[in-house]
Amino acid sequence: MDHPIQVEALRKNYAAFPAVKGIDFEVRAGEVFGLLGPNGAGKTTTVEILEGLRARTGGRVSVLGFDPEAQPSEVKDRVGVCLQSTRLPEKMKVREAMALFSSFYTRTIDSPELLKRLQLWEKRESLYSQLSGGQKQRLALALALLNDPQVLFLDEPSAGLDPQARLEIHELVQDLRREQRTTLLTTHYIEEAEKLCDRVAIIDEGRIIAMGTPREIQERTLATSTIEIECAPPLAADQAPAWAEAEKIVVDASRSRIAVTSRRPARTIVDMVEWMRANGMELVDIHIKRPTLEEAFIELTGKSLRE
Amino acid sequence: MRAYIALFRSNMQLTLRDRSVLFFNYLFPFIFFFAFAELFHAGTGAGIAYFVGTVLTMGILGNGLFGAGMRSVQDREANILRRFKVTPISPLPILVAAMVSGWLLYLPVPAVLIAIAHFQYAMPLPHNWISLFVMVTLGVCALRALGLILAAVTNTMQEAMIAIQVLYMMMLFLSGATIPSAILPKWAQTVAEFMPAAYLVSGFQGIFFRDQTILDSGPAVGALVLSIVLGMFLAMQLFRWEKEEKIQPRKKLWVLAVLGPFLAMGCYRAYSKEHIGQNEALFRDLQRSGTFLIRNTRIFVGDGSVIENGSVLVRDGKIDEIFQGAGPDPDRIRAEVVEGAGKTLLPGLVDVHVHLSSPGGISTSTGDYDVKKSIPHSAAALLYSGVIAARSTGDGLDDSRTVRDQIANGSKLGAQLFICGPMFTAEGGHGAEFIQNVPAGVREMVKAQIVRTPKTPEEARRQVRELQAAGVDGIKAILEAGWGAGMLYDRLDLLLVRSVAEEARAQKLPLATHTGDARDVTDAVEVGSTSIEHGSWRDELPDTLLERMVRQGVYLDPTMAVAEAYAQFFAGKADTLNNSLVQQVVLGTVLQGTRDFVTSGKGADAGKAALFRAALERGRSNLLRAWKAGVPLVMGSDSGNPLVFPGPSLHRELQLWVQAGIPAPAALMAATANGAKLLRAQDRFGSIRKGMEADLLLVDGNPLEDISATERISLVVFKGERIRRAGLFEK
Repeated sequence: MDHPIQVEALRKNYAAFPAVKGIDFEVRAGEVFGLLGPNGAGKTTTVEILEGLRARTGGRVSVLGFDPEAQPSEVKDRVGVCLQSTRLPEKMKVREAMALFSSFYTRTIDSPELLKRLQLWEKRESLYSQLSGGQKQRLALALALLNDPQVLFLDEPSAGLDPQARLEIHELVQDLRREQRTTLLTTHYIEEAEKLCDRVAIIDEGRIIAMGTPREIQERTLATSTIEIECAPPLAADQAPAWAEAEKIVVDASRSRIAVTSRRPARTIVDMVEWMRANGMELVDIHIKRPTLEEAFIELTGKSLRE
Repeated sequence: MRAYIALFRSNMQLTLRDRSVLFFNYLFPFIFFFAFAELFHAGTGAGIAYFVGTVLTMGILGNGLFGAGMRSVQDREANILRRFKVTPISPLPILVAAMVSGWLLYLPVPAVLIAIAHFQYAMPLPHNWISLFVMVTLGVCALRALGLILAAVTNTMQEAMIAIQVLYMMMLFLSGATIPSAILPKWAQTVAEFMPAAYLVSGFQGIFFRDQTILDSGPAVGALVLSIVLGMFLAMQLFRWEKEEKIQPRKKLWVLAVLGPFLAMGCYRAYSKEHIGQNEALFRDLQRSGTFLIRNTRIFVGDGSVIENGSVLVRDGKIDEIFQGAGPDPDRIRAEVVEGAGKTLLPGLVDVHVHLSSPGGISTSTGDYDVKKSIPHSAAALLYSGVIAARSTGDGLDDSRTVRDQIANGSKLGAQLFICGPMFTAEGGHGAEFIQNVPAGVREMVKAQIVRTPKTPEEARRQVRELQAAGVDGIKAILEAGWGAGMLYDRLDLLLVRSVAEEARAQKLPLATHTGDARDVTDAVEVGSTSIEHGSWRDELPDTLLERMVRQGVYLDPTMAVAEAYAQFFAGKADTLNNSLVQQVVLGTVLQGTRDFVTSGKGADAGKAALFRAALERGRSNLLRAWKAGVPLVMGSDSGNPLVFPGPSLHRELQLWVQAGIPAPAALMAATANGAKLLRAQDRFGSIRKGMEADLLLVDGNPLEDISATERISLVVFKGERIRRAGLFEK
């Protein structure tokens, strides 16, 4: 199956409020696809419709060839879900949770193996209440993987975790990515999307406003890169170069460090290098700062993700 | 199926790790159990069973409302169910597993409770284990279903807490689970009828106390089953996985649907009021379950022997043991003490000839003639006076049977009754005379209740069979032609009397035959009567007849108090009304009305007065001759006649016998053991023997020396209950 997840013209209204206003996307087999957007953008609603937890108002949705609204059991049996803010009973042991949830699926994988892989094996006799935040999230992930899902939904997998725990989760997701498991991930952490996702859709107020690889999105936006160079000898006092595509050139007091902003940094750099050689100068150091996804996002949505 | 088992196992693990659940399920009921047992002195035998039922119900309430209800709200509000929602399971396994695990976890409670009650408090083990098991199961499941519905219709923890607490408290305090229903006001007993818990309490107590099965609480069982089915169905329909899903306010009314079966039953029972009697009956059982030692008293055993200084241990309604001297240390045997020094303990008295419907005099209030009131009052007055059993020889069939059954099942307190219902007599014969005064419209109805006037032997036999089927304890026939001067009656044809007697014998019903003179007695003995009522007041009973009575074992019941009373009545004297016991048991309106009427001279008739004085004399001499001949004697008062009041009149009868020359022990035997034999109840009462019902009369002084001592009543014990005599006429 080329596209395990297909979404066409999806709409969802809560009473009169339109939370999702017609979105289309497809997730390819084996890729990690990110839905990136601020709180209330419609990410969770979209994912929950795909998971078979919510009815949609309009549009067409298919997960592994099933309609999650009409065939929720088929979908639920084949997908893994890691939800935001769910808990387990305080007095349930890790091992027991695995055994309990195993019983709900037609097909499950070896749970000791899974626990070992998620570094929970040592904790298998611990009560849920005794686990740290990161361990709880790893257990949530373990439960999501229990049925060896072809499609994995990760809703804000690292929300509320400390940086160390977040890093662990990221490593796990990257691991999963190597297994070629189709994953749909929602996040409002830009770094997470940049680091983990093959492709990203930016969603805001119920609409997708940009979609592509993180790189493509950056490039499609109007953001400029900054090129910083150091040259020797320094520029003469009267030298005021004008390189191709350069928008703004700032020379510091020593006249050996120059910062150039450009929308097409590749052309600018080639021009700079050629100009220096022609003037008998040497390029000592070069540093290119590309625009971030965050900047792209701010530019696209006009708001910050941290809001 | 795998999911069901896994969820069940998980529930078991989680519950056993949850201290609050363990507390409410296990510890809490036991704390109450011990507290109740000590508080109500129920720690001796069957009384404890009352509290086992109570505490089982409390545990089930906690298990259902908190265990199932609170738990499922918690799971939802803590976002636990949300995790289950993304897996391919439906609410059904979750609900079913919760139900089954809750039920299984509750089962040790009844087992341990019964074990403690049995070994620590000597509670007899229940016989109907299967019924008990089914009742526990239905109770737990119904309350858990109710808990699930409460969880389903509340939106927050606070809301759920309030709803659950309110229902829990109401059921705890109004259903009889903590406070015995019978001591609650009537309105509260009515409210209780709307609560499932009330049916559990009475169901359990029925199983423990009265060897009932669940079939005896059929409608309640039906309502419980319906509640379970409805509750599970609605819990499925209204199931919510997430706290964000809120329920619409009007859906909260579904909770009423689960309570629906009980609302319907409550309405019906509030209308019928039968529950109040049931509560009384259960409370009665509790009162009868005490253990006490009546010690250092004179004991008139009832078989002719006397223990000059002995003690009687009463336990669980029975005479448990009889001791010479002071008996064992009461603390060691967990018994309360009744000091009997200077007193005499007799078997409770038996009056074999009463008419319960009439107040025994003339009342200023027409309400006193209402049989719905007068029959229970007569039964209470008898018990008040130490008469623990009485035979009604002619009262309305339906009304006397109703009261007999109410007393038998404990919902009313009074002497236990044996009824003959209507009397067999001739059309226009004695016993039917006053029917002419009944308004024509209801005359047939009244007649059907109080007399049978067969025309043919076949009809006579059929009527006996019909009465047997209607549940009478004996047959009464009247064989009397009267005295002349306004007291002449048609005598029942002898052929018909014979048919009645034969059929009564075939139906194993004792036949009591009313007689007026020696010819009547001869005929009555000849047809095979079991007892001769009144005997002959007009002529001497021939020796040959007395010998035949001895040979046939025919009882003589001479009823002299009524002869004395008529002699007084027609002489315009009302001395009887000055008797202390009479004044204690007779209604003020009757005392006043009778005194006014008798002393006014309106009823005075010197001729009749003389006739009855002579009758009394003849009766006395016949009694003495019968006793000397060895005729078995029983004692009846014929109370219900003017100036013959149920209760006191039997004490008067005793005195008249002793005056006639009968030794006190023989008179007391007639009023106890012989009466019991005639009523075929000698294995239950009539003498003080181990294993008999504890039906006892404790009097000050020694009636063997002074028969009037029987009126100085110190204590009446009825089926093991120390009767609070002043309370008998309440309500």
